[in-house]
Amino acid sequence: MSLQRLNEVRRSFLADLEAAGSDAEALEAVRVRYAGRRSGLLQELTAALRELPNGEKRDYGRALNELKKLVDSQLREAKRRTAAASAAGSRPMVDVTLPGRRPPRGAEHPVHLVRRRIETIFLRMGYSVEDGPEIEDDWHNFEALNLPPDHPARDDQDTFYLPGGSLLRTHTSPVQARVMEEYEPPIRIVVPGRVYRRDSDLRHSPMFHQLEGLVVDEGITFGHLKATLETFLKELFHGVEVRFRPSYFPFTEPSAEVDITCIFCGGKGCGVCSRSGWIEILGSGMVDPRVFEKLGVDAERYTGFAFGLGLDRVAMLLFGIPDLRLMFSGDQRVARQFA
Amino acid sequence: MRFDAEWIRELLEGAPGRDELASKLTACGFNVEVREPDGDSEIWDVDVTTNRPDAMNHRGLAREAAVACGARLKPLEPGLEESGEAASDLVSVEIEAPELCGRYVARVVRGVRMAESPQWLAQRLERCGIRPINAIVDATNYVLMELGQPLHAFDLARVAGRRIVVRRAGQGETLTTLDGEKRALDPSHLVIADETHALALAGIMGGADSEIGGDTADVLIESAYFDPLTIRRGARTLGMHTEASHRFERGADPEMAPVAADVAAALIARLAGGTVCSGRVDVNPRPFRSAALELDTEKLGAFAGLEISVDESVRILEGLGFAPRVENGLVHVHVPSWRVDIERVQDLYEEIIRHVGYDAVPARLPVLPAVPGQRRGHWPLVDRARDAAVSVGLAEVVTYSFISPEQDEAASALPLVTAGPVTLDNPLARTQAIMRRSLLPGLAAAARLNLNQGETDLALFEEGRVFVLADGKPAEGERLGILLSGRTGPWDRREAVSFGDLKGLVEAIVERTGFPALTWKRDAAGALDEAEGAVLLGPGGRPAGYAGLLGTQVASKWELRQPVYVAELDLDRALAEVPLPHFHDLPRFPAVIADMTVEHPASLAYADLEAAVGRLASPLVERVELVVRYSGKGIEPGSVRTTLRVVYRHRERSLTQDEVNAEQEALRGRLASELNVRFA
Repeated sequence: MSLQRLNEVRRSFLADLEAAGSDAEALEAVRVRYAGRRSGLLQELTAALRELPNGEKRDYGRALNELKKLVDSQLREAKRRTAAASAAGSRPMVDVTLPGRRPPRGAEHPVHLVRRRIETIFLRMGYSVEDGPEIEDDWHNFEALNLPPDHPARDDQDTFYLPGGSLLRTHTSPVQARVMEEYEPPIRIVVPGRVYRRDSDLRHSPMFHQLEGLVVDEGITFGHLKATLETFLKELFHGVEVRFRPSYFPFTEPSAEVDITCIFCGGKGCGVCSRSGWIEILGSGMVDPRVFEKLGVDAERYTGFAFGLGLDRVAMLLFGIPDLRLMFSGDQRVARQFA
Repeated sequence: MRFDAEWIRELLEGAPGRDELASKLTACGFNVEVREPDGDSEIWDVDVTTNRPDAMNHRGLAREAAVACGARLKPLEPGLEESGEAASDLVSVEIEAPELCGRYVARVVRGVRMAESPQWLAQRLERCGIRPINAIVDATNYVLMELGQPLHAFDLARVAGRRIVVRRAGQGETLTTLDGEKRALDPSHLVIADETHALALAGIMGGADSEIGGDTADVLIESAYFDPLTIRRGARTLGMHTEASHRFERGADPEMAPVAADVAAALIARLAGGTVCSGRVDVNPRPFRSAALELDTEKLGAFAGLEISVDESVRILEGLGFAPRVENGLVHVHVPSWRVDIERVQDLYEEIIRHVGYDAVPARLPVLPAVPGQRRGHWPLVDRARDAAVSVGLAEVVTYSFISPEQDEAASALPLVTAGPVTLDNPLARTQAIMRRSLLPGLAAAARLNLNQGETDLALFEEGRVFVLADGKPAEGERLGILLSGRTGPWDRREAVSFGDLKGLVEAIVERTGFPALTWKRDAAGALDEAEGAVLLGPGGRPAGYAGLLGTQVASKWELRQPVYVAELDLDRALAEVPLPHFHDLPRFPAVIADMTVEHPASLAYADLEAAVGRLASPLVERVELVVRYSGKGIEPGSVRTTLRVVYRHRERSLTQDEVNAEQEALRGRLASELNVRFA
């Protein structure tokens, strides 16, 4: 036995270690062969120390110690590597394509989505949003708005009556009347809300939603009406053209129906716009001085304009909802599409 | 209303083509909604607004078209040839009710022979949607369509005493109208009678027994002006609506009555032979007086936002028949007899602006005070509640405000339903006869619809009003209703909805909406399930809401076959405003946490346990949290084991574990002596 033998063992150990790679079983075999307690080569080499002549003992001992350290550290390192490799191989991988665990998402009804969009447009222009009762009296719903009893225009607004002569408001306009009774001009308001008409078919629901607007001040002109409604409609329906047609409402004069270019065909003519290229979107007009007089507003000093639109219809147009009945069906798949 | 396009063009000198005519009419306020080719003309459906009865005929619409297109309305030429006896020798007219009949004109045509109308006339009537009958009736309808004056033709031989009496009907008087219906009348109805009985329902429909027939030789033509309100009420109470009543109730032209009688007489003579007796019988107890108005074009310009010249105003008013005259820069006009809608100068503004064209008015935004807009009334509150509901994952539905009596009854035992219902006088259907007192019926109906559609996991809400009778008067309240059913949670942890899920949502919504402190109490009313129902009580014990599993009896009303959890909040009990959050300084010393497991009877409500801990704990306790609730194996039946986490903290120094241990021990002692609890 000699230093030469130590070197041989050292070489063969390193070769065996490399051959074992990160195979845990092969590494164990290497460990047993070299560092095994009973018959490992290192044991054998240690035993050989006693047989050596005294003069060689010192060098041999030192070299043997170094070899032991090497074997120990190399084995430990190999084991660590193997453990890491095997850990990497067995650790479960997340399937990142699985659906996430989402928190629940609520959704607002399209008619309220549209209401708030419109409110926001007008709030930005300095309008206030007003509120009023759904159960109204004849004065605010009709008479104050220049619709005396037996007026033929009442035919257009089939009314639900309640005991005691009150009624379900047929439009949001009674809130105009209430605001004019309460506040001095300048007035700048919009009034959204539920309204009721005794009418039910594919295009009419006995309950629906309107939004009404009113501006009263000195020097308000028909040109102001036009610009305000154009601004509003272009903000709501991007890129449309707006057209004003003379019409009739008992509470405004002159009155105007307002059309936008059809948002489905861009004005070329399609089924939605009855081939006309235009969609009727709101009614408007200069406040009839008779209304001012009934509500105690100085008709000599003030002029104003008013307008109203159907929120359900706007929601249907804006979001492409084909059937009015879907709006009030209670089907959660309607609102869920607007989450 | 239907028009024959070529008929309109024929009345104009210098008429434009049909396309231009249609677009010009639309631009000045008569929307040509539908154009349907018919032979060498077109049938037009024109929207003539209810304030313009004068344009509900071809001549009236042509007058508007003339101004809009720069054409001229041809003058009216009756082409009348009279001969022989005077009409006044053949018939007399007496108006007994001049307040209901302002004018009555009669013409007589003798010796007619019944004939069919010529093709051209029949075609025009058909384009207007009127069925041709015979030359005489058709002639009256033709004049109606051309001039807007409703006429009636009587067989003179059947007018007893050749005497026309315009009077109120007697109480219980009957008349069989042309449609074969026997009508029971009263003094609110106006009739045309002879010496013996009523012949016609004035302004609405003729009677069967004075009808023109094959043996008619002498025709009496009636051309009258009746009071709009009388005709409107009469037609409405009898459930009738005719071409004549439609025009009279909106206001006919009293000056047209004699002209139309002439035109009709001439036309009958032309179509059915016979001679027109000379003269008319014209009883005119309330002669028309034209109102005079003055127009200042400067004020008009200021109102329109566009300068409009005197000349332009005059041109338009001239064309519309206002006979304008300019004096000192003001335009003086007389309102023509056919314009029932013009009363004051603002009415003239409309006439001029719509003929100048709305397109011509430049759009300019108004300059208004730069004050911020406010959301007033209920809006801030209800949208706060709506946002809260959306934020916890609920989908909004909007349901009808009226429900059936059965649905109302089913919901009547709910905690918030205390006052009586508001019923509609004239519902559309029995199923929509009662105003909802609760949002539950609409949500339950929505749940059923969704379940039928195969949507079994439901998380819905509605925000809206309920209606009740308060002191005999209808009153409104704002509510938020919630419905949960099926399963909840992410896909890998879906679980059946429980009371706890519902309560969690309600608590979150209550917090975000802003309510005064609410306490949860078991509901004893019975509409909710007895084991899983609660009322939410506000200050003074006033109910502000309820939440729980819908009782099977109520649920069965909507055939809900799976458990449904519902809640409703009375938003009128909420705070008008949510106070601004106020920041508290963060603690500078660490907390010491000590858990405590308490075993107690299940009858001890958690809220009571928590309150007792809060009351009995030392001031060093910052808060108490619920960690675990357990009952079952290892626990005495009827008992519950509750683990509470007690968080101790001193504001000015760190606490030691020994101090906390001592406090916990003292707390256990106080709890044990006050409540029936044991410590595990």
